[in-house]
Parts: sequence; C-alpha cells; structure tokens
Amino acid sequence: MPKAVKGVLVECDESIRAIILKIDAVNHDFIIEDLDDRTLVVKETKLPELKRRLEEELRDTQDEPKDSGSERD
Amino acid sequence: MSASSLRSFEYLESLPGRDFKRLYQRPSTALAIFRRMLPHLAKTFVMAMLYITDPLTLSELELWVRPDSKRHVLHVIMPAKEYALSLLSRLHILNTSSVPGQGQVLSLTNDFATSLRLSLTGGGHHQSFGVPCDTPDRHKASLESLDAFARSQWEGILHYMVDTAGVGMQDGGEGPSHGVKKLLELGGLVQMKGSYATITQAGFSFLLQEVNAQVWTLLLFYLDSAEALNMDKVDVLHFLFMLGSLELGQDYSLATLTATQIQMLEDLRDFGIVYQRKPSSKRFYPTRLATTLTSDAGALRSVNAGFDNALRSGDGKGFIVIETNYRIYAYTSSPLQIAVLNLFAKLETRFPNMVSGRISRKSIRVAIHMGITSDQIISYLTTHAHPQMRKNVPILPPTVVDQIRLWQIEGERMKPTVGYLFKDFASGQEYEGICKYAEEVGVLVWKNDAKRMFFVTRVEQVKKFLENKAKSAAAGANGG
Repeated sequence: MPKAVKGVLVECDESIRAIILKIDAVNHDFIIEDLDDRTLVVKETKLPELKRRLEEELRDTQDEPKDSGSERD
Repeated sequence: MSASSLRSFEYLESLPGRDFKRLYQRPSTALAIFRRMLPHLAKTFVMAMLYITDPLTLSELELWVRPDSKRHVLHVIMPAKEYALSLLSRLHILNTSSVPGQGQVLSLTNDFATSLRLSLTGGGHHQSFGVPCDTPDRHKASLESLDAFARSQWEGILHYMVDTAGVGMQDGGEGPSHGVKKLLELGGLVQMKGSYATITQAGFSFLLQEVNAQVWTLLLFYLDSAEALNMDKVDVLHFLFMLGSLELGQDYSLATLTATQIQMLEDLRDFGIVYQRKPSSKRFYPTRLATTLTSDAGALRSVNAGFDNALRSGDGKGFIVIETNYRIYAYTSSPLQIAVLNLFAKLETRFPNMVSGRISRKSIRVAIHMGITSDQIISYLTTHAHPQMRKNVPILPPTVVDQIRLWQIEGERMKPTVGYLFKDFASGQEYEGICKYAEEVGVLVWKNDAKRMFFVTRVEQVKKFLENKAKSAAAGANGG
C-alpha cells in the first residue's frame, strides 16, 4: 500500500532550492522530501516561515538598485 | 462581460429553483436578467422562443448558431451554443425535456416568458418598474445634487478603506455609517485589528475595480447579510433589479414597496444608491449608481464614463501620465485617487491640480506585498491614462509595463502547491495505475516515474480509487 503525505510541493530554480536546503540544514524541520533539483515537498505549516527566510537570504545576497538611481536622468 | 456580472451570476445560480420562480414573477427582474446577464446568443435564443407556444427542438435551434463560434469564459474557450444553453438552464430560463422521435426539445419557463413579454410590451398591474410620485416635490433634487450625493457617499466608503491602509490622507466627511463599515468587514474587504480597520487583499482588488463592479460586489455582500437579518432575499433582489430600471432625476413613491424594501432604503442611502431628503420622506430618488446597475456591458461603459465625468469634475476620464523613466504625473486633486496612487507609487510633490511621483521597485514591491497584483496596477494605469497618453500605441510605455511585471515575478521565487505526496509503491505496475488515474481526474501536478512518486492537489478521489482497488483485490483473492 502506498503512503500519502500531506505537504506543499515547491517548484523553483536550482539556486533557490540550494538556499532552501541551506535553511533546512540547520534543524531539518522544513523539508519532507527532496524530490529533484527543481522540486521539493515542505511542511505546510512551515511555508510562511520559509518564504520569509528565503526573502531574508536573498536580500543579503542581492545588490538592489537604489531607488533614486534614475531620478535625474 | 465584466467581472461584476459574472459574480452576480454565480450568486444567482446558487439560489434554489423556487426562488427563481418568485424572482421571475416580476417583469423588471426578468428584463434585468435578460439584458444584463445573458450573452448575445442566449438573448437570441430567448427572443426566438419568446412568442412560440410549442417547444423547439434542439436541431431547429442549431440553425441559429454558426458551428465554429466560440466563447471565452474565464480563459476557457467554450462553444458558444453550449455556453448559452447551459447558462439559460442554470438560470432556470430554459426547460429541456426529451420527446421520443424529436430528441431534445426546449422551451422557456413560464414565469420568465410571461414576465419578459409583459416588460417588453407593457400591460398588467405589476408596478415592478416603480411608481413615480404623483405630487410634485417641493424640494426637488437636481441631477447635479444627486450625482454629488452619490459621489460623496461612495467616495466616503472607498476613502474609509484606503485610509485604513495608513495612507493618512485627510478626510473631509465623517466617513461611512456603522452598517457600511460592518458590511465591509463581513465581506472581508477590511479587517478589524482592535478598534482599527486595516484593508485586506480583497479590499485592494475591490478598490481598483470600476464603480459598477464595486457597487455589485458590495450589494452581493449585502444580500448575504440580509438573510441573517431576516430580510427576504427575493424581495431584496427584486428591489435591486427594479432600481436598475428607474429613471435618473425622477422621484418614486414608497407606496408599492414591501416592508423589507423600505428597510433597505436606509442602507441603500448609506451606499449613495438612492437619495431621500429625510428618512421619513415618502419619496426616493435613484442615483446614477442605481440606474446603471443593470445596464448591459456596452451601455455601461458610456454611462460609467458619464458618472466618472460627474465624479471627476469635468476634466475627462484619464488623468495619469507615466513616462519611460518611471515618473508619474496625475492631474487630480481628489484625495481618493491620490490615496489609491499612493498604494503603488512614491508621491513626491503635490500641486493644487496635480501630484507627481515615481514608480520604483520598492513602491511596487510594497504594493505586491499588500496583495495588489502587477496586472491590477497596469490595468489601473491604463484605464486612467491621460488623453495625451491615449494617443500612444500601446498606451503605457512598454518598458514600464514589463518592469512592473518583472518586479512582481522577482518575488515569486518558488511556486507552492498544497496537496499530498504519494510514495512507497509496492510495484511499478501499482504506481502506474494510480498515477494514471490521478492524471485522468486532473489532480496530478508532479510525478517521477523513476522514484515512483507523484504529487496531487486533492486526495479524496485517489483514496477512493485505492480502496476500491484493495477491495476488488481482496475479493479476487477470496474468489481465487
């Protein structure tokens, strides 16, 4: 008999998956199943937190263009 | 068809058959549904059958339809005929029965046909199109004052919602009544946090809709809550549809209204849909918000434009100029419009007749965070573009449009789908059978044959399938 596990299927880029794996590596409490290099299943209750953490990570890694950049072009 | 009429459809379709029977006893209701809710082909069908007493066979009806005509319904393409027929029967306008030898035969339901005939040709004592007052009003309301009243009431409601976003604009009026506030909360457009109301995602979509769609949205919430207040929803619907057939600037008598409808007047006054000089008045005036309720989609735009003109003190419909360098100029002094703009643009300077600012990654990200989509922003900018902008093709600079979309996509780093993962299959054969079934019922979103795993959005059907399989396997084992 097969097993059915409740969760959230997350489809993303490989780079994003790498970050999710890194976030999960601390406590192993996000990922239920690592399916392939673009797909994961995570816990539904953890999704909002994962989104927030992901955005935090990205904020640190990305150089965002300044808002006033094209102001006086 | 506009989103608003689609939503009012869904509401109507959820009513039980006996409510339809009562609804269609009023000619004004039958006419309103006919002109507002039906696509052209469905109207043609109804008109074809209206004065025919014998049922029509399906093959006769097919002569009216070009076989290749299609219709887009919420991004799904449907053959126009099937769409029209299914809609007509869902709205209880059409009876289908099968007669041996002729196949399917169609006829209009009696109540609907009788009422529609009455409304088209007149006659009867139904008084469902309202009864004008026979005595002249000493304090007659002018068109301008009606428009001004509708505007201040409606903008008051919208303003209340925008204010909750913490935009902090000055509000001239005292804001909407308690009942309206309650309704906005019930409808999920605002959320109470302590004594403060904060706007929700649904509230933002609401703000960016056209006026008519907003009115309908609010009225549907009203219908939902009316039941809880022991108001008869058929009565309420009758009144709304009647309002749509009234004439602007004419005063109507309360004499033919039911108790429920008189009770409604108070709430409709709060919305700015009807005007009464004082609550005890024996007459009421419909405002432009009321008389455009059931205009058909084509007429709606022009009437709406007329209302917009009235609302926006003259200077045409569009007021927004946006340049390729993301600078935005809005020729408006309306606090409401400025507040809406402020939701997704960073406003910098304000002059008596215009504000200027810019759209930036940050301002758009903030808006998206609050639940506004890039498409909503783009459509808002397009519909309110300044006449000078309208000379361009396309109206908005493509770089800006693309960038707004990109700013949204940027935040969507992952695509989450809630559901169930199936794994640990005993054999490839078992996996394949179940996976194939999941695909057939349309719940499969991901699969990996090598790992023998798949992901579905809903589990009920697959579970049933598994149980049945287990049962038949057990039966098979017993029998063999």
